[in-house]
Amino acid sequence: MKSFWPVRLASIVGVVALCFALDRAVLAAAPAQYRLLILASLFVILAVSLNLINGITGQFSIGHAAFAMIGAYTAGTLSKNPAFASMPHPQLLAVMTLLGALVAATFGFIVGLPSLRLRGDYLAIVTLGFGEIIRIVTNATESLGGSYGMPVAPKVQFLWWSLLLMVACIALCRNLLKTTHGLTFLAVREDEVAGLAMGVNVTMTKVVAFVIGAAFAGAAGAVLAHTEAFISPRTFPMEMSFIILTMVVLGGTGSITGSALAAVVLFAIPEYLRTLTDAQGKAYEMNAGLFMGILVAIMIAVAASKWIQTNVHEKGKKLGFYAGAWLAVIPLGFLFQTILHLSPTLKTLAFGIDILRYAVFAVVLIALMLLRPQGIFGHHEIGWHWFRKRPVPATEGGAA
Amino acid sequence: MSEAQPILRLDEATIKFGGLTAVNKVSFELNRGDIFGLIGPNGAGKTTCFNLITGVYKPTSGEIYFQGQPIGGLAPNKIATRGICRTFQNIRLFSALSSVENVMIGAHLRHRVPLVGALLLAPNSVAETKALQERSMHLLELVNLADYANHRSADMSYGKQRRLEIARALATDPELILLDEPAAGMNPQEKEELLYTVRRIRDELNKTVLVIEHDMRFVMGLCERIVVLDHGEEIAQGPPDAIRNNPKVIEAYLGEPA
Amino acid sequence: MMSGLPLWADLSFSVLPQQLVNGLLLGAIYALIALGYTMVYGVLRLINFAHGEVYMLGGYVALFISWQFGFTQDALMQNSTREGSLLLLGLMLIASMLICGFIGLLIEFLAYRPMRSQPRIAALITAIGVSLLLQYAGALFLPNSPPPSISEKVNPYRGEWRITLSQPSGESVAALAAAKATLDQRTREFDEQIKQERSKFDLSPAGVAIRDEKNRADQEFNKAQTVVNAQRSEIVLPRGQVVMFITSILLMLGLNLLVNFTKMGRAMRAASHDFDTASLMGINVNKVVTLTFFIGSALAGAGAMMNTTFLGTPMTTFSGVQPGVKAFVAAVLGGIGSIPGAVLGGLLMGMAETLVVWLGYGSYRDAVAFVILILVLLFRPGGIMGSAAVEKV
Repeated sequence: MKSFWPVRLASIVGVVALCFALDRAVLAAAPAQYRLLILASLFVILAVSLNLINGITGQFSIGHAAFAMIGAYTAGTLSKNPAFASMPHPQLLAVMTLLGALVAATFGFIVGLPSLRLRGDYLAIVTLGFGEIIRIVTNATESLGGSYGMPVAPKVQFLWWSLLLMVACIALCRNLLKTTHGLTFLAVREDEVAGLAMGVNVTMTKVVAFVIGAAFAGAAGAVLAHTEAFISPRTFPMEMSFIILTMVVLGGTGSITGSALAAVVLFAIPEYLRTLTDAQGKAYEMNAGLFMGILVAIMIAVAASKWIQTNVHEKGKKLGFYAGAWLAVIPLGFLFQTILHLSPTLKTLAFGIDILRYAVFAVVLIALMLLRPQGIFGHHEIGWHWFRKRPVPATEGGAA
Repeated sequence: MSEAQPILRLDEATIKFGGLTAVNKVSFELNRGDIFGLIGPNGAGKTTCFNLITGVYKPTSGEIYFQGQPIGGLAPNKIATRGICRTFQNIRLFSALSSVENVMIGAHLRHRVPLVGALLLAPNSVAETKALQERSMHLLELVNLADYANHRSADMSYGKQRRLEIARALATDPELILLDEPAAGMNPQEKEELLYTVRRIRDELNKTVLVIEHDMRFVMGLCERIVVLDHGEEIAQGPPDAIRNNPKVIEAYLGEPA
Repeated sequence: MMSGLPLWADLSFSVLPQQLVNGLLLGAIYALIALGYTMVYGVLRLINFAHGEVYMLGGYVALFISWQFGFTQDALMQNSTREGSLLLLGLMLIASMLICGFIGLLIEFLAYRPMRSQPRIAALITAIGVSLLLQYAGALFLPNSPPPSISEKVNPYRGEWRITLSQPSGESVAALAAAKATLDQRTREFDEQIKQERSKFDLSPAGVAIRDEKNRADQEFNKAQTVVNAQRSEIVLPRGQVVMFITSILLMLGLNLLVNFTKMGRAMRAASHDFDTASLMGINVNKVVTLTFFIGSALAGAGAMMNTTFLGTPMTTFSGVQPGVKAFVAAVLGGIGSIPGAVLGGLLMGMAETLVVWLGYGSYRDAVAFVILILVLLFRPGGIMGSAAVEKV
């Protein structure tokens, strides 16, 4: 392949240029969104890296926030060191990202070890436990700021850096899946015993998945620490792991592009809700009765959809039924709201919309599992081949 | 390695699960180029024997030699690397992947590119993947599945899945291939084709074949030598004709003579 | 705490029996919750993440009932003579058990039953979702800031029993009395001196000498007190917690009878041994699953009611997470799927936790569970009483 290096070089230069251009454009057009876009790209990294462990290698890990936390605390501690503190900001951020990734990768290796003996739900519990242990230990360690947290200096916010990191993360995972190496990861997910019989080094594959996944999470954590300039154990609660998990599950376990897209959407919705204000600049409040009404209506719609999924087989009819069930949510929601408002407490009880987000995540997670457990995109990737006429090569996600 | 040396030798291989001796002091030898049958009634320990050879279980006592080297207790993937590959009684395909991807996973064993190369999508990695894809297509042709290369393996019929397992096992380029009930669930015509395919595997690809099968006509028609197990013990060994008339074998299958 | 010395260097072992008893009392509650995990896992092979939240709701049910009977803070201010009764406790227990039972049953029916044909991981994610939903949607409606707790007046069994294991020697008691007399004497002298001084904070040299004398006597007294305390070993049993422990044991015995000596119990054991075969044998597995969830959740409800009533634990909608996780670890420790294992695991978990706090690592008490869990899973995945299943190839 003679054209390889020029093409590769050009694409790298192109990506770097694009990241810088985006950075400048956002600074010029919407500086208020600058920090949010950094956070969004970090969540994409977290979701895609978890997907490598969870969706592609099939090792159910639900302690991903811990790796980010390790990366963040590594950066927070080491950047105090005068040798690093005197560096110019871009170099400092790059070095901290690398160190955060390295330390997190080491922990990823340690967490990967139990995955050699444990499967499925047991592994899930162990990864969750690992995350909690890390958080509790940090909480109790005074030199790390304990429960008060730790200021991180200097505050460095570079959108271009987090975008580059995001592209690197997505590109590496995608490259992996384009080669036979990626297939061995899928083999571990599909059937370990058969994989072993085919000579797949299952041990190695699992540990590599954990190490790479943890390294990217650690890198994201290091960038997060410098972006926010403050970290504490509360920055990385157990719920953060669940949110990342929801992103992966929503996008489709095994679909890199799917989880990246889901990460952006699930990050943006709560942020958007938070910015909503009424004419007086007060945050919108939602009536408790209305919220419950909509919740009940959605649950009914989910149950109805589940019924349609199993009992209606004609395609046109199915779509019609779905549309009907989900359109009915609106009137039903208001009906329930009216009923619930008969109770004086629910009529007056109200809360800010942004505190609803975990409840909304939970509903999304349950509804998704009931209706489409493989996630919106399943194992498929979003890409140009969707728009091409010719048949998809096998390595790009199999037959649709 | 001399041709006279047996390719596989079981030397009093034994495995106990708690108080149960599933395989008891079984010894037999396979010569290069054999098509060898392993038969016996249900629960005789045939699949356990396969699991011992492929490293799923570690023998409690006794040893297994492959090309003169002891392999008892090695990890399954190490044994696959040495050149033994198998199919499974209860089909174990990578069900969400396409046929050709299944075969490529088998083939990855002989074409190693460093992981870093794969992550960076280095040119040699891409070229290797292409080469493997082509090789896998050839193997699919061998088992008549070329038209189904891009079908999800879980969506294919039982007979096709069994053939795909054989192609996947062949992709690891083994010296010895173990087939666990390859004809189960096939119709007579499919069995006929399978018989032909297994012969081709031996004659054209120069593999040694060890096969477990319940269909006597299939085994007797295919194998040159047969070993019979009952309750974990070896009760007979020899060419098909001798086995067919061996009173111990008849007793094992039909019960005590009246 | 002296730096350089390990935290446990100045432990007094005379309090060890008390710590063990505390651990046992705490462990009984973990055991009750662990039973729910182990039963559900036994039948469905599902980690019911929402079980801790069912437990949390049980506490709220007990709280609301106590409020209904006039044990709110406002009502108690007006009428401070109001006292709980056995009848009220019984009512709270039964209501918590029944309502939790129904919540468990509802969760199973709405969320887990449709997932039964799906891979186990999908069911696990659903369970996480249900758990989050109950925590966060609950936080919107249930009172949680400040965390409410059940008034201690609900519990008619206040006070405590003391069991003395060893008395301090006569010598050290005499020494303590002497030290006390000296301290009193010095204190009186100092008080006299203070009256003659210009200011408390600016003493004359004579005053300083007397103050130092007094401080020395105070130190002597404290030393003697420590000696006496170290020699006296006794166990304090709050009466309410004894009631709690006995009730827990009775409930566990009842469960044991139900599982081992009734037809339904036999069906449950069959389903937990082999779900599919049990259904082929004509066992109504749906009924078994429903009953399993009902009983498991009811036991969690009982645990929650007793914990909140007798210990006065404050409640938030997140207060089910930690006990839930610890009880799950208890179930794994005992051997998940095994009922006696869950009880044993619960008691061990309770003791491990109190011991860690006693050793001075109180800030790590919530990490203990996970450390135990990881160790158990790595070295004896089947738990104490279970056996690890071998995958058939």
